[in-house]
Amino acid sequence: MEIKIMKNVLDRNKNKANEVRNLLKEKNVLMVNMISSPGAGKTTLLEKTLENLKDKFRIGVIEGDITTDRDAQRLKGHGVPIVVINTEGGCHLDSHSISKVLPEFDLENMDVIFVENVGNLVCPSHFDLGETFKLALVSTTEGDDKPIKYPMLFREAKIILLNKIDLIEYTNFNKASFHVDLNNVNGKVPLMEISCTRNIGMDKWYNWISKQISSK
Amino acid sequence: MHELKIAEELIGIITEVAKSENLKKVTKVNIQFGKMIMIVPDVFRFVFEGGVKGTVAKSAKLNLEILPVKFACNKCKEETEIDDLLFVCPYCGSNDLDLTQGRETIIESIEGEKC
Repeated sequence: MEIKIMKNVLDRNKNKANEVRNLLKEKNVLMVNMISSPGAGKTTLLEKTLENLKDKFRIGVIEGDITTDRDAQRLKGHGVPIVVINTEGGCHLDSHSISKVLPEFDLENMDVIFVENVGNLVCPSHFDLGETFKLALVSTTEGDDKPIKYPMLFREAKIILLNKIDLIEYTNFNKASFHVDLNNVNGKVPLMEISCTRNIGMDKWYNWISKQISSK
Repeated sequence: MHELKIAEELIGIITEVAKSENLKKVTKVNIQFGKMIMIVPDVFRFVFEGGVKGTVAKSAKLNLEILPVKFACNKCKEETEIDDLLFVCPYCGSNDLDLTQGRETIIESIEGEKC
């Protein structure tokens, strides 16, 4: 006999994500889900962003890491609350793990939570965390074919940052080809070229994210 | 390896339904994944078969269908099915599109024998 089910397999994650989203909305907190491959510069972007915005906004950080708390250690000096989620081998965060750590933040007195997802371009883009939006970070050293190879993330992201722009001359990154591919996958998403370590294009990013936080 | 997490959730649903429907054996599982989910069918089968060991679905056949990506153009209102994941309307060239299919992770039904 056949039993009809017609159900989203990821319903449990989706429902919990909606709970998280409603809670954050009620407390007026923005949540940014930061997704990139390992080594693209998520932690450095966070370091610079904390440095620049911590006096202007009340910021919290959730660090998703397969193991270790090294990223959190790097961010510790900035005096913002940081919670580490070790996924113990898991290749992405999910809404249940986010929901579990949210009580560790004083949400009444918080403007924004940056979630550094596990470094991976595939899995994190399939699991809604309850975030306000996704940020995709790519770097010139990874090659220019990422948008076309990982369309889900680049379709879903509200902003795309192209990091390590200072290193482009040492790579075979073809900017024109990157733009064509990105345009084919998502022609509407804003793209910013930055270098976190050389401080290129960062003011534009700070302005953009400040605007998102202020208008939440 | 999001296949692993999706398979875990799927097996959870199957065992729950099998229990409430009083099935002694699940023989077939019918699922549909959108192409954007980027499931590798062989990987999914591998983790599914590992996960169902010792459960009511241990000998279940997995019927996995991959759904193509479809979008609706907000400019000319045409709906298009695409193979190449290029999100540009072939009718008017617009990239102002809404995805209408391709992100599904659906369990349609299970088949089995009653106790």
